[in-house]
Amino acid sequence: MKTWLKIAVSVWLTGIIIAGIAFSMVKVPQTWYEFPFIPGLEEKARNIIFHVPISWATVVAFAMSMIYGIIYLRKKDIDYDLRSVSSASLGLLLCILATVTGAIWAKFNWGSFWNWDPRQTSIFILLLIYGAYFVLRSAIDEEERRATLSSVYSIIAGVTVPFFIFVMPRIMSGLHPGSLGDEQGKGPVLEFKMAPNMLMVFFASLIGFTVLYFWMYSLKVRQMRIERHVQQITETH
Amino acid sequence: MEFFEQNQMYVVLVVVLAIWFGFLGYMFVLDAKIKKLEEQIKK
Amino acid sequence: MMIISTSYHIFVKEFVSEFRTRYALNALLMFVVTTLSIILFSIGQESPSIDVLSGTLWIVIFFSAMSGLSRTFVAEEERGTSLTLRLLVNASSVYIGKLVYNFALILVLSVIIAVSYVLFITEFTVKTFEIFWLTILLGSAGLASASTILAAIIAKANTKGTLFPVLAFPILLPLLLTCINATKLATEGAFLVEAVKEFQILISFTVVMIATSFLVFDFVWKD
Repeated sequence: MKTWLKIAVSVWLTGIIIAGIAFSMVKVPQTWYEFPFIPGLEEKARNIIFHVPISWATVVAFAMSMIYGIIYLRKKDIDYDLRSVSSASLGLLLCILATVTGAIWAKFNWGSFWNWDPRQTSIFILLLIYGAYFVLRSAIDEEERRATLSSVYSIIAGVTVPFFIFVMPRIMSGLHPGSLGDEQGKGPVLEFKMAPNMLMVFFASLIGFTVLYFWMYSLKVRQMRIERHVQQITETH
Repeated sequence: MEFFEQNQMYVVLVVVLAIWFGFLGYMFVLDAKIKKLEEQIKK
Repeated sequence: MMIISTSYHIFVKEFVSEFRTRYALNALLMFVVTTLSIILFSIGQESPSIDVLSGTLWIVIFFSAMSGLSRTFVAEEERGTSLTLRLLVNASSVYIGKLVYNFALILVLSVIIAVSYVLFITEFTVKTFEIFWLTILLGSAGLASASTILAAIIAKANTKGTLFPVLAFPILLPLLLTCINATKLATEGAFLVEAVKEFQILISFTVVMIATSFLVFDFVWKD
């Protein structure tokens, strides 16, 4: 990944963090650096700038894991398996972060950290599914067989992701915005309920976190390639 | 004490930025290390 | 069509090999009896809420599935017949035969469990029988569809016994939740149409699982 992009995303996200945290929330915004007060959410609404982009990056990561799994099965080039694991492990990390930021938000908005709200339940199931992915990998010693079976599992797991993230929380009634019976419709993101300047910061965060994910992914893949290379050298000696 | 109560948001911001810069620093250092290893392998 | 007859023969073969040495099926039956007895014993004189009973019904069915459904592939590896099977029969027939066998197995088990629940637990009153039995049928189909492909995957791994529930549980969880909801509807006396959403979920789960398995089974089976 180009160095200028890394520096750019660092500056970009620093700006997002400052905007997300330090921009004051007032009843009637006078300047571009003031967000409007959302009744019911007030200051807590800031979380949307971090919580949603992280969840989005999770979906990207898991989708990439499935795609590389498919490519591995067709081409049998072990590099694709390395890419699949790297995306999956970053996806799992991001999933944990999304769950935690969500739970913190839940504590302040709904009263307790965990409510078995449909979306909380579905993200928990997703954690288990991808945790099981790594359990599966650890149970197979031969590299090629491990790669084949992990690729198959990443496809099965990847197929369930759209259901858990986009379908299940919307067809069941619950506390999370966008659930069945929510008076606000599909939630602030899909219905564009945020003020224009807040919306811009939100979308900028979305892009920023995605690019940051790709940076982390490239580091992880390169690390795994080096590890495998070293392992092969030590084995042939 | 009152300063810290009134400007709580900025305290949060400073803490978050500290963690964030630490993370960024780690990323850049890791990136450099990996690049060095990759070059070593190429030789 | 060749594939239907070959699949049928695989299905029959599963039956024959399991009935030849019945210890696996007996163990499974004993598991069901034991679990049911534990539940009956712990209920005792209490009247647990019917929602809890609907949940425990599916816990028993789920764990019976975990005990029994991985055998089709794991036993093949253990007996050493996996390679021969791969040479003789095409992959799709193997998959279909084992899938249908798993479906039959879990259907029989869940019917036994469901009937026991209705007979022995007085508080478990099913008001809408169509919903109840349709849930059992579709739930068994869903359990079988996911379990078959996962069993094929873990059969090639090392720690087969404990790995199977670990992989199966998260993927089957939405199926279980839907079945529990549908069972609750059945015990509340809801009309058949009210459970349509649950049935849609169960059917789509099964269809997606089978479709994905079909696409992917070749890679798992041919090592």
